[in-house]
Amino acid sequence: MTSVSVVVPVKDGARHLGELLDALRREGPDEILVVDSGSRDDSTAIARTGGARLLEIEPAQFGHGRTRNLAAESTTGELICFLTQDATPVPGWLAAYREAFTLDPRVGAAYGPHLPRADTSPMIARELSEFFASFAPDGSPVVQRAGDPSFLSNVNACYARACWEEIRFRDVGYAEDQAFGADLLARAWTKVYHPGAGVLHAHDYGPLEFMRRYFDEYRGLRETTGHVEPLRLRGVIGLVGADLRWMSEHGVAPRERARWTARSLAHHSGRRIAAPIGSRADRLPRTLRRGLSLEGRADGPAGARADAAAAAVGGAAGAGAAATEEALGVAVASAGADAVDDALGGGGVPRGTHVDPWGGRKEDYMEAALVRERGVTPLLDAVPGMADHERLRIAMILPPFRRGSGGHNTLLQILTRLERRGHVCSVWVHDVMRMHQSEWNGVLRWNLREFFAPIAAPVYKGFDAWQGADVAIATGWQTVYPALLLDQCRARVYVVNDHEPDFYPASVERVLAEETYRQGLHSIAASPWLRDVLIERYGASADAFRLGVEHEVYRPRPVRRRQDTVIYYARQGTPRRAVPTALHALRTLHERRPDVRIVLFGDNTPLETAFPYEHLGVVSPTELSWLYSEATVGLCLSLTNFSLMPKEMLACGLPCVELAGVSAESIFGTDGPIELAPLDPGVLADALERLLDDPQLRARRSCEGIEFVASHTWEHATDEVEAGLRHALRLREATWSR
Amino acid sequence: MAEVESVQDPDSELERLRARVAALEDELVEVQARANAAVAAAQERAYWLERWHIDLNALMRKPGAKQFRALLRAVRAVGRQGRRIKRRLST
Repeated sequence: MTSVSVVVPVKDGARHLGELLDALRREGPDEILVVDSGSRDDSTAIARTGGARLLEIEPAQFGHGRTRNLAAESTTGELICFLTQDATPVPGWLAAYREAFTLDPRVGAAYGPHLPRADTSPMIARELSEFFASFAPDGSPVVQRAGDPSFLSNVNACYARACWEEIRFRDVGYAEDQAFGADLLARAWTKVYHPGAGVLHAHDYGPLEFMRRYFDEYRGLRETTGHVEPLRLRGVIGLVGADLRWMSEHGVAPRERARWTARSLAHHSGRRIAAPIGSRADRLPRTLRRGLSLEGRADGPAGARADAAAAAVGGAAGAGAAATEEALGVAVASAGADAVDDALGGGGVPRGTHVDPWGGRKEDYMEAALVRERGVTPLLDAVPGMADHERLRIAMILPPFRRGSGGHNTLLQILTRLERRGHVCSVWVHDVMRMHQSEWNGVLRWNLREFFAPIAAPVYKGFDAWQGADVAIATGWQTVYPALLLDQCRARVYVVNDHEPDFYPASVERVLAEETYRQGLHSIAASPWLRDVLIERYGASADAFRLGVEHEVYRPRPVRRRQDTVIYYARQGTPRRAVPTALHALRTLHERRPDVRIVLFGDNTPLETAFPYEHLGVVSPTELSWLYSEATVGLCLSLTNFSLMPKEMLACGLPCVELAGVSAESIFGTDGPIELAPLDPGVLADALERLLDDPQLRARRSCEGIEFVASHTWEHATDEVEAGLRHALRLREATWSR
Repeated sequence: MAEVESVQDPDSELERLRARVAALEDELVEVQARANAAVAAAQERAYWLERWHIDLNALMRKPGAKQFRALLRAVRAVGRQGRRIKRRLST
């Protein structure tokens, strides 16, 4: 007869453990192993007296997957059963499992129903009964193969050792059993649902505890599978009705029925509220997260991203798992589920956890790998005269965005103007970091309009609805690779806002960003300096455009200009802004002239400085225009391409200091409206002081600045970009005709 | 006749084909413009539903949705009748 080991992970499980072990002794497995992770009740004593072998681990070492792997390694049975501490086998349980493994030569796992206990609430009892009845409508065991539901629950499951050794449980925060079920089917094993292998098991909490539990479960599901539960309250009445019918069929007394109806309403409503909140727990303050969690967990498991990578359960499967888990109230044997750095094993050569390919989820930069593997998708044949068509079909591909992104603002200012000129535009968001995972297309569009410019174009996340374009415009470096894979394009263009490799230290990102300039896309760079970099360093074909200024916003405001104020764009989180050097310069200036008022903006977190200053945080464009109109001198540094900010300062009549020797000269010249200084704190302080000291110099710079940027409009920028797009089409036409 | 002409005069056939391509191009742009406008308008209208992740089609496929809709219709019909009677009484 096949030998069987039973494993029961336990933490504070004294309530049902004795009953469970009694039932197991009756079933007669070859071995019972209890793994205790720091119980403070009598669990360990009950395990010892109940005839089980006891393995004790530190609470912090517990992990649903890793602890079960450890336990399986410590047992010898050809079949390994897993039960949770509150799952009591019914008579015939073990015989049913033994039978299950004879039903097919490739049975890797089997599972049985979770039966309600006598005191289980009608809501949970009904859901359990209906859920498991759906697996075996005629009451016979069912063999499940690839394509069948991947459901598997370690509340009550049995595994063939050979199958477990091949697959092993993943070290994930939640749903290691669901992942195993999916893996098992994917590897041509089968699993069996056997109605005879039942356990008495159900969780019952009060309505509030249930809500907190659902909060935890959906938070875990979001962390492991990415599933986001939508907010929908409307099905509640139907569920309450189903509970009522169930109570009626099971002869629940009318008074009890009335009581449970109220509980049912609270239960189902609570779930519908708690589940979407749990899915979005990352947006809540830490203290609120901890307060809402039944486990008292403030943070997601460390390495949640790695967990997500490891969880091969796709979105739909994840949603299914959620529905199942919530219906079952699957036990969390221990609250110590947070990830731990050290793997279990206790010495020797450490063993890694098996990690499968990502099922249904794509890795970041997959498109870059695809371009290398398969090459670039060919462009459509050129149509003679296509560059001169009055209306072009333009598809702009955007990287993920946040409010205040200067690059996105530039792109969408131009796109709105291209639309007004009659071009047929669409926007495609390449959500490479899954920043917009929970946002649907309509929401992305609304946000783009709200944050940047009132585009009329439709917005799509991903490229499932791709419909071709005369020109596909890549914008950030991450968008170049998907653009290279798109079909039905006449030309591909790269609008380059900055030299993005400079944003990264030695890294894959840096290499991939550099590669984008060598992919043969015609570039339209946001300054002559940047255009020259692309041509000289990368051999790209490139045009340039000049960033526009919103003159309706950035103009001299009717406010008296102060004589003592230096305003500095201190965006600490952006290394190319050279903040440490600028702060040294401002400290030097303060030491020389303690009466100078220093104002910092651009970052919500105040910086620690050696001089006093006024902290403004992130400021709106209109407020900025007033600040620029009132301040004496502006300071804004860029170690790569210059940004819009110096132009906006000039448009408000504010003389400003920028870095010399980078990109500013290509726009402003060496003795233009901007005071240029090298990256040297002392020299930068000199430049600021010179402007503070010399009203005539300030006045000259101010007049020159206003005059200089007057022609720098978004209309003009759009002219240049449009010319660049047509240039790309001409180049394509010329190449094709050859 | 046109075929005969094209055999005899490749240039004019080329011109004719170019004109046809240009016309098809214009048509494509027009169709795409209308499709984009329709999608954008739908996205505009569905904003709040999308923001709250409400898929009305999925919702209306659920059990009880038809009955709920019929109930709503009935309520609205009663409301309409009420307003009509009120108008009649007030004139």
